[in-house]
Amino acid sequence: MRWSKALLVFRKDLSEVARNWEVMAPMIIVPVILTVLIPAMVTLVPDSMNGSNNGNLMDSMLPNLPEAVREMLSSYPEGLQMTYIMLVFFFAPFFLIIPLMVSGVIASDSFAGEKERKTIEALLAAPFTDSELLMGKILVGFAPAMGVTLLSFALYTAMVDALTFGRFGFLLLPNLTWIVMILFLAPAASLLGIGATVIISSRVKGFREAQQLSALLVVPVLVLLFGQAAGFLIMGPGTLLALTVLVLVVDAALFGVGVSLFNRERILSQSH
Amino acid sequence: MESIVAEGLTKRFNGFTAVDNLSFTVEQGDIFGLLGPNGAGKTTTIRMLASLIQPTEGNAYVGGFSVKDDALRVRETIGILTENPSLYERLSALENLEFFAKAYGVDESQTRDPRIRELLEFFDLWDRRGDRAGTFSKGMKQKLAIARALVHEPSTLYLDEPTSGLDPQSAKDIRDLMERLSQREGQTILLSTHRLEDAERLCDKVMIINRGGAVSVASPRELQQRATGAHVVKVGLREVTRPLSEAAESAEGVESLAVDGGVFSVTLANEGYTPGLVRSLVDAGGQVMYVVPLEASLEEAYLKVIGGE
Repeated sequence: MRWSKALLVFRKDLSEVARNWEVMAPMIIVPVILTVLIPAMVTLVPDSMNGSNNGNLMDSMLPNLPEAVREMLSSYPEGLQMTYIMLVFFFAPFFLIIPLMVSGVIASDSFAGEKERKTIEALLAAPFTDSELLMGKILVGFAPAMGVTLLSFALYTAMVDALTFGRFGFLLLPNLTWIVMILFLAPAASLLGIGATVIISSRVKGFREAQQLSALLVVPVLVLLFGQAAGFLIMGPGTLLALTVLVLVVDAALFGVGVSLFNRERILSQSH
Repeated sequence: MESIVAEGLTKRFNGFTAVDNLSFTVEQGDIFGLLGPNGAGKTTTIRMLASLIQPTEGNAYVGGFSVKDDALRVRETIGILTENPSLYERLSALENLEFFAKAYGVDESQTRDPRIRELLEFFDLWDRRGDRAGTFSKGMKQKLAIARALVHEPSTLYLDEPTSGLDPQSAKDIRDLMERLSQREGQTILLSTHRLEDAERLCDKVMIINRGGAVSVASPRELQQRATGAHVVKVGLREVTRPLSEAAESAEGVESLAVDGGVFSVTLANEGYTPGLVRSLVDAGGQVMYVVPLEASLEEAYLKVIGGE
């Protein structure tokens, strides 16, 4: 494989994506909600961390937290304990939505969108190998997804620390759990989004159809979210590393299927 | 030297035979027309010759490279104008051409930039080079797509309906360009078109295909002659007299004569008898104003061939 050719496809797709508001809008709106609005709401809206629902959430999550965390939290009032649990544990799975969503949306545009816009034939007729085309298109899903994820994490960390340092007296983030999630699980999740979208795109004709189907990828994230809320699991570094391995195995299987479906003849027959 | 050699090219899709056992050759520098009704298999043939899809049976060689085994080299050799312009509408005209120039290996900007400028100026798109292709009219998109096919100066060009959507002047410019590329620069052109007047004017050879199979491969002139059947010439005379009619009837190779006003319609055994006929008329005191071979147009020949299928 010639990397210069794969990067050429990557840069072309990136230029196209950057000019498509249907793709750019969710890439901007979702991270802003997660990184700015949620921490602001949790820390600034009075009494948002009090109430019976939050009490239930704390009752189910607090006993499962690591002992050192429980001990540390015991010296704080209940409202601050809840703020800590929400910002550091409860919202963590939401950050997996970013790489999944961004990679899914971009890959939908790159694979299904190119078929829909009937631009694929000239691209397939150009002297690229299958692996160069596929790698270029995987990169265009992966690189922005990780860029947005890292930027969102940096922004969330800055927001959380700025809003809570005065009350806790120390920086809540980053911690090891978040670092493992952002550096290991998020890239694996991003590849999951791309692998699934490659397969979805081979079966559908248009960008929107692919995007809607790839939105189903948030279901596993919701499982994590409710699993934590119900007290079944707490996302510590060990759990996250195990999840990363599991997701990478699924990625490998999805890409195996995706590569076998990336066939010029099949793609052309679907674009007409 | 042969630029394209097809040997028994066959393509089946789920039991349906789209192209059936096509064999033909295209010489370097020739314009080869691919004619046929919609669904005849022209696009499938072009796709196989571009290594976009694999033949079910048979093989073809483009610039000496097998479409089956050297797909990448085949794609490097050709420039292709597809059925749809296939342009990136969110990218500018310049960005579209730069992407494809680099894809085809025109990496050096001192080669690439003047080439792109030359093409955009030729197609009157230079002033719109920074505009997104999506804002272009149908004709402008078609011109940009042709420029894309030419950007790497390929030795073999596949053009699928190149004058479709173009105004008469632009269509003429494209026809002139094809002639120039073929005659002066020795580029081989495979032209798929429904415009038979384009094929008649431009093509050295045409292949009429129907239901996936080759019905006829010949020069447009040969096809026209076959459709006409007999060799008929019209001879315009300043004045028609009885001695002139007798001279025409008795000239060697003349099979029949019809007189209509000042014009003789003479059926000859073959076109080689035309000079003798003219000489007989002049010797008999006739003043010949013009001599025109009467042939079916390529359109008539095409309809006859397809109708006789």
